[in-house]
Amino acid sequence: MSYLSLENVVKTFNKTEVVKKLSLDIQKGELVSFLGPSGCGKTTTLNMIAGFLEVDGGKIEVDGKPVHLLPPNKREMGMVFQNYALFPHMTVFDNVAYGLKLRKVPKNEINKRVLEALEMVRLAGYEKRYPKELSGGQQQRVSLARALVIKPKVLLLDEPLSNLDAKLRQEMREEIVDIQKQVGITTIFVTHDQEEALAISDRIAVMYEGRIEQVDDPASIYNHPKTDFVSQFIGEVNHIQGKVLETYENKKCKLHFFGNEQIVSVPSVKNSEVHFFIRPEKIQIALAESNERNEAFQTKVERKMFLGAKTRYILKVHDRHLIADISNTVLNPTEIKEGNSVYTYWNPEDLLPSRMAR
Amino acid sequence: MSRKLSKYFFNFVCLLVYIFLLAPIVVILLSSLTTTEYIVFPPEGLTLRWYTELIEHPEFMQSFTLSIIVAFGTAIISTAIGTLASLAVVRRQFKGKTAIVQLVGSPLLIPSVVFGVALLQFYSWIGLAASPLALILGHIILTVPFVMRLVVASLVGFDRSIEQAALNLGAGPMKVFFQITLPIIKSGVIAGAIFAFITSFDDLTVALFIVSTDVVTLPVRIYTYMQYQYDPIITSVSSIMILFTVVLMLVIERVLGVGKVFSSKN
Repeated sequence: MSYLSLENVVKTFNKTEVVKKLSLDIQKGELVSFLGPSGCGKTTTLNMIAGFLEVDGGKIEVDGKPVHLLPPNKREMGMVFQNYALFPHMTVFDNVAYGLKLRKVPKNEINKRVLEALEMVRLAGYEKRYPKELSGGQQQRVSLARALVIKPKVLLLDEPLSNLDAKLRQEMREEIVDIQKQVGITTIFVTHDQEEALAISDRIAVMYEGRIEQVDDPASIYNHPKTDFVSQFIGEVNHIQGKVLETYENKKCKLHFFGNEQIVSVPSVKNSEVHFFIRPEKIQIALAESNERNEAFQTKVERKMFLGAKTRYILKVHDRHLIADISNTVLNPTEIKEGNSVYTYWNPEDLLPSRMAR
Repeated sequence: MSRKLSKYFFNFVCLLVYIFLLAPIVVILLSSLTTTEYIVFPPEGLTLRWYTELIEHPEFMQSFTLSIIVAFGTAIISTAIGTLASLAVVRRQFKGKTAIVQLVGSPLLIPSVVFGVALLQFYSWIGLAASPLALILGHIILTVPFVMRLVVASLVGFDRSIEQAALNLGAGPMKVFFQITLPIIKSGVIAGAIFAFITSFDDLTVALFIVSTDVVTLPVRIYTYMQYQYDPIITSVSSIMILFTVVLMLVIERVLGVGKVFSSKN
């Protein structure tokens, strides 16, 4: 049984559908990311869940009860905003206590729970400070404590880390996951940062143009993208097109590309054009040909970029470019020079089929 | 060296400006202490006689009370109207918004004499006699644009997600307004109220057209008194007006902490 469910949710702005019949089921305690480029409808969807926007169709249920007609102050959801949205005229203590005061919680219990919440976000001792006296990371932690202290049914995080610098962002995201798991709260995390989404999510809903393209665990999203958008949006890809030379049973076919032939497992029609993606880190190169690499083809190293743990090679073949990222422990980058001819190969299973009709 | 010199020069210019601004007040305060029967500066001798003589002119005290009542009424009502109107103008999109903004702001452009004449005509047409209410109504029209200027300024750049956060925590719209929005825009609202109060308290031009023999505001009283007599009572009344304003400012500063609010904005 899902805890939070969206069913055919629609949002229209000026006759444009920005969220199109979106459905999603989230389990209790699960952390689901909404990931997508700006304008994909992820924040709009979050605002509909929080109640800041009305749904124009469909329904939203929490724990089996419809909530989409309730005003935001009756939904029992905790939200953390991108710009923290702390009350500037209240101390840290009063900020965190605000939701409890509204619930008429007795004073000594408010005290206890606020202090516990601040301890949880490692801000004990900051009760008397005002928001402007805190750093961005501290403000975001207050905001998290404020959202969690009321024990909401669902925690909504709207790009909570995007205003922080890179290092703090990583620390904070780990902290958020720790707290989320510790509290066991059902959480939606909106982000446009794929690395963030991959790192913290139980599942990722990749959104594009008001639709969910794919919902899956991070590894499946990355390794088995179901749509072209997901392949291209998550991580980087090289686009390859080839011609089907022969088809076999068991859904395999012989493919011709870059003057090379390879047998791949994808259903296809003879003589048709097929498109694939391959991730840069799945491409291998070698200076010498070997038997194991009989499906290798020759490319020319056009550029080489040292990136620390790995090196990026821009390879040229038949007027097309391929990007290969190769770990420096696998291949010493000094061995390969710009202008070298190298043997390029990959495991056919790493090819991601594309539906592209180009 | 030249930087130091320019700093001295800057301070000197500031000093001149301050003297220029404060000199009339000092002149009034000092000349109210003169022993002569006429107004003179510098005062000749020192006496509080002109303050005690005020007791024999209860009409000044009446006018003073009336002015305060009118100014308070104006400040409260026009701040309420101006604040709500500002929220609508800044946050809502509606038909004829620009027209309404222009209309509300128009008293700033119309000479107050013209406005006074218009008000006189209008009041006699609707049959509204001279009364504190008539004065308050006129002053509201006069002061709402000021309140709106100040409140709109404090609403620009207001992060609405702060209100969403309060809603999200369970506060209803009224609580959000009084516990979150209003405290955050407090400085603009208070500044607007002070402006409205002073504009009303200070107004001579418009009031001249509305007052009757029993409803006379202090500026009108001073003005008419001066047409017939020119004794230092005028300066003592004026001094009391100045002191009252200063005390009012200090009280507001103490109670509401205007300065603190202003400085904490950044």
